[in-house]
Amino acid sequence: MQEKEKVTGTPVSRIDGILKVTGKADYSTDHPVKNVAYAVLFKSTIAAGRIKDIDTAAAEKSPGVLSVITYKNAPKLNLKGGIRGGSMLQSPDVEFFGQHIGLVVAETFEQARHAADLIVVDYEKKEAKTDFEKLHQQGAKPKDKEDEKRGDVKAALDSAEFKVEETYATPIYHHHPLEPHATIAEWQGENVILYNSSQIINGAQNAAASTLNLKPENVRIISPYIGGGFGSKGGQWGNLVLAAVAAKMVNRPVKLALTRQQMVNSVGLRQRNYQKVALSATKDGKLASLSHEITTHSAIKEEFVEPCGDCSKVMYDVPNLLISYRVVAMNMILPTYTRGPGKSTGSFALESAMDELAFKLNMDPIQLRIKNEPERDPSNGKPWSSRTTVQCLQEGAKAFGWEKRKAQPRQNQLGNELIGYGVACGTYPAHQRPSSAIVKLKRDGEDVTATIELAAADLGTGTYTILAQTAADSLDLPIDKIIVKIGDSDLPPAAGAVGSVGATSYANVVNDACIKITDELIARSGKQFFTRPTAAQLMVSEKVDNIQTRADSKPPENAEDYSSHSFNANFAEVRVNISTGMVKVSRFLAVTGAGKILNPKTARSQIIGGNVWGIGMALTEESVVDPRWGNFVTRSLGDYHVPANLDIGTMEAIFIREEDKFGNKLGVKGIGEVGIVGVAAAVANAVFNATGKRVRELPITPDKLL
Amino acid sequence: MEENESPQLTKDEKKLFEDLMPEDLNEILVHGVNRRHFLKLMTLAGGGMLAWQSAVAEQVLTRPFSALTSSDFSPANIENGVNLSFKVNGAAKKLMVDSRMTLLDTLRERLELTGSKKGCDHGQCGACTVIVDGRRVLSCLTLAASCEGRSVKTIEGIAQGNELHPIQSAFIKHDGFQCGFCTPGQICSAVAVMDEAKNGEVSCVTEDVRQTASPIKLSNEEISERMSGNLCRCGAYPNIVAAIQEVHSGKEVAQTWEFRG
Amino acid sequence: MRPFKYTNAKDVTAAAKMLAANPDAKFLAGGTNLLDLMKEDVEQPNELIDITRLALADIKLISSGTNKGGTSIGGLGKNTAAANHPLIRQNYPLLTQAILAGASGQIRNMATNGGNLLQRTRCSYFFDVAMPCNKREPGSGCGAMEGINRMHAIFGWSEKCVAVYPSDMAVALAALDAVVKVRNASGQERTILLADFHRLPGDTPEKDTNLSHGEIITAIELPKNNFADKSYYLKVRDRASYAFALVSVAAALEMNGNKIAQARIAMGGVAHKPWRAFQAEKMLVGKEATEANFRLAAEAEMADAKPLEHNKFKVELGNRSIVLALQMAINGGKS
Repeated sequence: MQEKEKVTGTPVSRIDGILKVTGKADYSTDHPVKNVAYAVLFKSTIAAGRIKDIDTAAAEKSPGVLSVITYKNAPKLNLKGGIRGGSMLQSPDVEFFGQHIGLVVAETFEQARHAADLIVVDYEKKEAKTDFEKLHQQGAKPKDKEDEKRGDVKAALDSAEFKVEETYATPIYHHHPLEPHATIAEWQGENVILYNSSQIINGAQNAAASTLNLKPENVRIISPYIGGGFGSKGGQWGNLVLAAVAAKMVNRPVKLALTRQQMVNSVGLRQRNYQKVALSATKDGKLASLSHEITTHSAIKEEFVEPCGDCSKVMYDVPNLLISYRVVAMNMILPTYTRGPGKSTGSFALESAMDELAFKLNMDPIQLRIKNEPERDPSNGKPWSSRTTVQCLQEGAKAFGWEKRKAQPRQNQLGNELIGYGVACGTYPAHQRPSSAIVKLKRDGEDVTATIELAAADLGTGTYTILAQTAADSLDLPIDKIIVKIGDSDLPPAAGAVGSVGATSYANVVNDACIKITDELIARSGKQFFTRPTAAQLMVSEKVDNIQTRADSKPPENAEDYSSHSFNANFAEVRVNISTGMVKVSRFLAVTGAGKILNPKTARSQIIGGNVWGIGMALTEESVVDPRWGNFVTRSLGDYHVPANLDIGTMEAIFIREEDKFGNKLGVKGIGEVGIVGVAAAVANAVFNATGKRVRELPITPDKLL
Repeated sequence: MEENESPQLTKDEKKLFEDLMPEDLNEILVHGVNRRHFLKLMTLAGGGMLAWQSAVAEQVLTRPFSALTSSDFSPANIENGVNLSFKVNGAAKKLMVDSRMTLLDTLRERLELTGSKKGCDHGQCGACTVIVDGRRVLSCLTLAASCEGRSVKTIEGIAQGNELHPIQSAFIKHDGFQCGFCTPGQICSAVAVMDEAKNGEVSCVTEDVRQTASPIKLSNEEISERMSGNLCRCGAYPNIVAAIQEVHSGKEVAQTWEFRG
Repeated sequence: MRPFKYTNAKDVTAAAKMLAANPDAKFLAGGTNLLDLMKEDVEQPNELIDITRLALADIKLISSGTNKGGTSIGGLGKNTAAANHPLIRQNYPLLTQAILAGASGQIRNMATNGGNLLQRTRCSYFFDVAMPCNKREPGSGCGAMEGINRMHAIFGWSEKCVAVYPSDMAVALAALDAVVKVRNASGQERTILLADFHRLPGDTPEKDTNLSHGEIITAIELPKNNFADKSYYLKVRDRASYAFALVSVAAALEMNGNKIAQARIAMGGVAHKPWRAFQAEKMLVGKEATEANFRLAAEAEMADAKPLEHNKFKVELGNRSIVLALQMAINGGKS
């Protein structure tokens, strides 16, 4: 019997690649639905108050218009159904600038867009809370986050020889996936099909059903391809149910797409954070205390607070710790999960402060981190399932040429450019979530094919490919004999592609299903085997034409006995133009320990993608509010600068080989989130090393370095 | 062109679509196989279909498919209609459009060519990039009416029949995308950049614009600058550059990842 | 976007006539700015006259008249073609650099030279119809004056408007003493110095230029000069490419021995029009091309800057950018 070479862990090109490069992967609005009408949303132009009157007459008379839907005629929805951010036309109240206040449905997109411009709204304005700079001192304790304390931070800080006490600020960031949120709704009797990009297929199904007062089985979410999400398509927003409402009201399928400008106040954001970090240490660099006090904002009625203190809880061995959150309710769209939620912004503060401390101690920042490496998870005392921080730092230093870094800033100049090196670490928890999957085998002579089905999501993360790899190995089939069907709520329920749980949860359940079907084939044969045969062999030897089974997987029972995280170390080389202050990250290296890497090609892309996000965070991205109105002045991609191709220099990825058998059976940890954590700090630290300027307010635009 | 084929599919055909194009099955059952399904099936056929599927696919591919323009579109809904005849991916198209309709919306909503994407609709992302009369342009800022007599190439027309363009193959090899939403625009742009380099066109990072060397050999920085009008939010830029450089230089570009420890 | 009639003009004079006949009509050339604004409901024409097929795309040597020996660039030629034409690349590399510093490859393939001059401001209050803006809606107020004005003007603004003009191409054209040729509905031609083409906002910020309704830009003429060896376009922006300027500087020098015979400096991103740094230019003539002299000239120019709340950095950035652009120019494009 010949052992087939494993494809898991090899750099298989994406199996959905061919559809993507030929334009045939269908995103939300690409699905060919016949007789579709077009809906365009219109939004409030005040931040707080109430609609006194809304004149829709001109819009209704405009050619092609089928319906104008506002709070006056919208059906009653369940506001507690799980749709985030309100904005569902249920009352004349306005809670933020850009709240959806209605939609026009017309025969064509051009007609709907024009009619939406004809709506006239009379408001009764109320004073709005829109100025975080003025309100941040009024922060209150969040509902679901207690302060965390260990030891006595104040005493340690007061008596410390070396300390850093600084406030780090990050602006509002927007996800801006290239695919704006959009939905096609098509009713078939009592059932509605919603073509809608969703990172959590079943979550979208349940939220839509509950909000529309339907049963989940009446709602089908179809989302085979997702044009980026980064958290904004994790929870679902008003557009999902408003499309269904519109389709019901005009008795036709309806296509509703947000415009890019509407994205800034429709689908969440990463909130602005002030983070006061105080570190104290002995002169040999042992941390004595760490306090991390976070102030941020949320919406008027709903609360979401990014966990900026998470990295501070687990990164370093420190006897005295304080982590606190304060939040101000403001008239703004509800914030939400954004790539590396809390950890990416929190690590900017923590890892900048560590760099400042190292500088004060005249110590290499890598050594400072190694010095404070915790043996167990300091937040709960549990052993690590595995921890690779030190390896990441050491291997990274070697690979990056860290020894060429000058300890003092402004010592490395080439022509008109200052060159600097920076390092920063990151972490993100690794979890498996309950998921189910069906595997179906089919034989035609000697030819066996498998279909894998589960309501998983692939938002560019490589889900299709890693599941085909996993199944191919587990069933002993060539990878091109595997068909992967995901992105449909009619398939067995699965975890969302969020919080870096996707790959872990999906690969484990698919593997379990494949083992189970092999067991069933063995049982069905009634034979005893000396060595365990594979499913592929059994299908042929036992002449089975069709068989299918379903697995329902959960994390291992002892998973909670360990603290399971991915870890990284980020190395940045920046070049700063002395005259103009323009910064280029010329070289970037991320060293990541993230358990078993199922596919190094797609994993590297994920890591680099996170790094590019971090570089955007550090240098170019910023959403700005004009507090007089509470509107975003950076409402287009011309004003909100996501990095362009030329902003990105050489990017390298190294993975630490790791066998982690505690967190989940396959030892997979997930990499979507950890790739961004620590990146902004590495860049900011490199800018300091280059210029001697410590920028504590992101982004580091040219004006901040003059 | 033929009307929609009767939706009666054989059992094998139904299975084929169920396996390969589940998201389209519903539509196929109700409305029959149309040109879009055909194109998709062609692609999948090129992407390594299973033997039994190939046999059935052959059957499907030889059947007539439905007309390309949406048959349910009523001219009554067109304001300030403009009669337009132009070429899309080599095929002559005639239709009446609302004067306000962009080329992008015409491709997507009238011609069932949904490969070109609407990422911003304001010329700030490049996802809608198509090639008009040999040059890359933004279809979201092009009025369809202004395309009379022009020849438009979209992502659906980049491959030669069943054979991928080298840029498309290189994007797959170098993983020049993640979510894939910007990819059609990136690829149209990259294909045009090849020609621009051949013509000796300069860029903002060209060392000396007075030098008239033609064709221009593109450095990675040159490729980055020339591709900067195509945003990729997933951050696949280094892979995009690698893919283009490999095709441009004709030399293999190494794929870099490393395992340590 | 409002409904509009789409028409085609068969020749240049007919186009001007069609435009003159309808005060709410607009020409459609590249469309890259106009359609953007129409989608935002900022521009509301009821007729678009497509002029893209008019024969106004030529780039050629001027064989007679005041600009003899200079180069004429057709108003409806594409930006890409202008940037890459051998006459421009050889004799006006500053213009090539400036064009290529703007927008993206796709947009430069669409945008026309005349249309580039007619770009409207990128001020976000202008773009958002929910905001007050005197340029969009005279009398409604200026949102940026007391608002988020990091991107806005430091020279020549008025109480009515603090917007900046966004073109890169026009900054180089201003430095190169370009002339805009326009034709009206009666077929009459006139020329406008590029430096006089765009206006300061004053009390009528709704008027960007001195072009009259019914006039069409037929060509842009570049006089012959000796700047080709020593010129440079510097653009400082928030990301490396595909972004508007915080500050840009077009610098060109002609040397006489080790003395500066002529200097041209124009700035972008600082005013409602390409800002010719006449003071700095004057100070440089007859001086040696040293960093110290560049610095003095820059400081003299920037001394008159009146920054707003969020753009004070533009004064220092302007200073440094003038110096760097001059250094790059004198070194033939190298720092």
